Amino acid sequence: MRQIGGIWGRFFEISTRTLSQSLRGLWRWDGIAKSIVQTGIESLPIVTISTAFTGLVVTNEIAWHLDLALHNVSMIPGLAGQFILRELGVVIPALLVVSNVGAATTAELGSMKVTEQIDALQLLGVDPVNFLVVPRFIAGIGSMLCLTVIAIFVTLICALAVGVFSYHFGWLEYLTAIQHFISIKDIICAMIKALVFGAVIPLISCTFGFECGGGAEGVGTATTNSVVTATLAVISLDFLLTYLSTLLL
Amino acid sequence: MSIRFEKVTKSFGRRTILNGISFEVHPGEIFFIIGKSGMGKSVTLKHIISLLKPDSGQIWVDQSDVTRLSPEELIEVRGKCGIVFQHPALLDSLNLFENIAFGLRTPQYRKKRGKHLSESEIHQIVIENLGRVYLDEEILDRHPSQISFGMQKRASIARTLAPNPDYLLFDEPTTSLDPITTNAITDLIYELSRGRKRVTSIVVSHDMSSALRIADRILMLDEGKILEISTPTQIRNSKNLLVQEFLAEALIQEGSNTSS
Repeated sequence: MRQIGGIWGRFFEISTRTLSQSLRGLWRWDGIAKSIVQTGIESLPIVTISTAFTGLVVTNEIAWHLDLALHNVSMIPGLAGQFILRELGVVIPALLVVSNVGAATTAELGSMKVTEQIDALQLLGVDPVNFLVVPRFIAGIGSMLCLTVIAIFVTLICALAVGVFSYHFGWLEYLTAIQHFISIKDIICAMIKALVFGAVIPLISCTFGFECGGGAEGVGTATTNSVVTATLAVISLDFLLTYLSTLLL
Repeated sequence: MSIRFEKVTKSFGRRTILNGISFEVHPGEIFFIIGKSGMGKSVTLKHIISLLKPDSGQIWVDQSDVTRLSPEELIEVRGKCGIVFQHPALLDSLNLFENIAFGLRTPQYRKKRGKHLSESEIHQIVIENLGRVYLDEEILDRHPSQISFGMQKRASIARTLAPNPDYLLFDEPTTSLDPITTNAITDLIYELSRGRKRVTSIVVSHDMSSALRIADRILMLDEGKILEISTPTQIRNSKNLLVQEFLAEALIQEGSNTSS
């Protein structure tokens, strides 16, 4: 219990310092560029493929159930569109980034910790938070926003394809139907979620990396704990933000 | 320019690693800390640069108690110290040139020097320090993962020497090095302390033969307490059993080195 308290204390300390240094513009551009490649560009194939299949499956399921229960499939575009925009297109890329980039970040920082590279940085007068966390934080937010936009677009295209080819909607008919269900509030809600996930995932991954100990085994344990914690954080924050958005927007 | 421990205690969980130890390292001195594994030698070293904080006691570097310094003041004190860690601790993402030059590009080094070094000056310092640890220029564009552990260790010593620190802290500097390089590094530590600048060196080591050869004084730690602080001659004549055990090992090692 004390260990959990310790790690959350460290998480808030690192988060506060990262936020303050980011707002003060203490950005290391080469580090940010490298992190954008790692978080955004290298995650793009897996995010695109995964969300495309998710779009196909979910739209088929929605359509099948509407047809079975109501014998009416006219609401497919609206229901699928809203579900994709508010949940699928945002949460799926975030979970993929957790397993892909979050795990790699914790493993990298953890191995730097156990091989005393982080101590060496401190001794050379370099703040490890500024050198290692801030670039990942900035890149995480930017990449997550872009990945979310791409994921939503790909998933909507796949849903459109299901509507058109399996349920005989016209292209324009489908797009017009979506417009009736989706508002600017849904887009704002999706972008807020992407921003929060993009900020929280690198902070959790880096915290577990910094707190890693105990050699190779410690790096493995820290990576597992980091992925589990970040996954739970994404799911619980998704619930919280959805709830708040229904109240506020 | 001295380092002083006053009644320093440090525990990890229920295990007391340092139990109220006090000692002083004088300017220009080569001070060896020896003892069995897990007796707190590296922990002692990390306290000097405040990578670890003591549970109680004071640690003085020059006129500053590092246990009470603000982060900004601590950066200044750390700027006076160079440490060679147990692991080479080179940054994996940088090549060897960038690793060795890293400390020359930090704001604290700029502040210490009072000017910004040009790239040609940085290159010159890197080459000079690479030569001191017997490494070739050819390896400068390689990354740490592309060279052997022994070469990484030597490169890490070059990185530590590059900013020309006042205090040198070595955490087992010759582990994983061949006997010839071990002797060369030991000689280098000696030259740095006897040279014009008279760098103060604290060396954590299991290498008793090096300690006996170059140390001004040797501190032996056991179970969190200081067993003995003496000159090499006094250590050789010590009646303490543990000290004798270490000494015997050193003599065996010396014998095998001579025969090889």
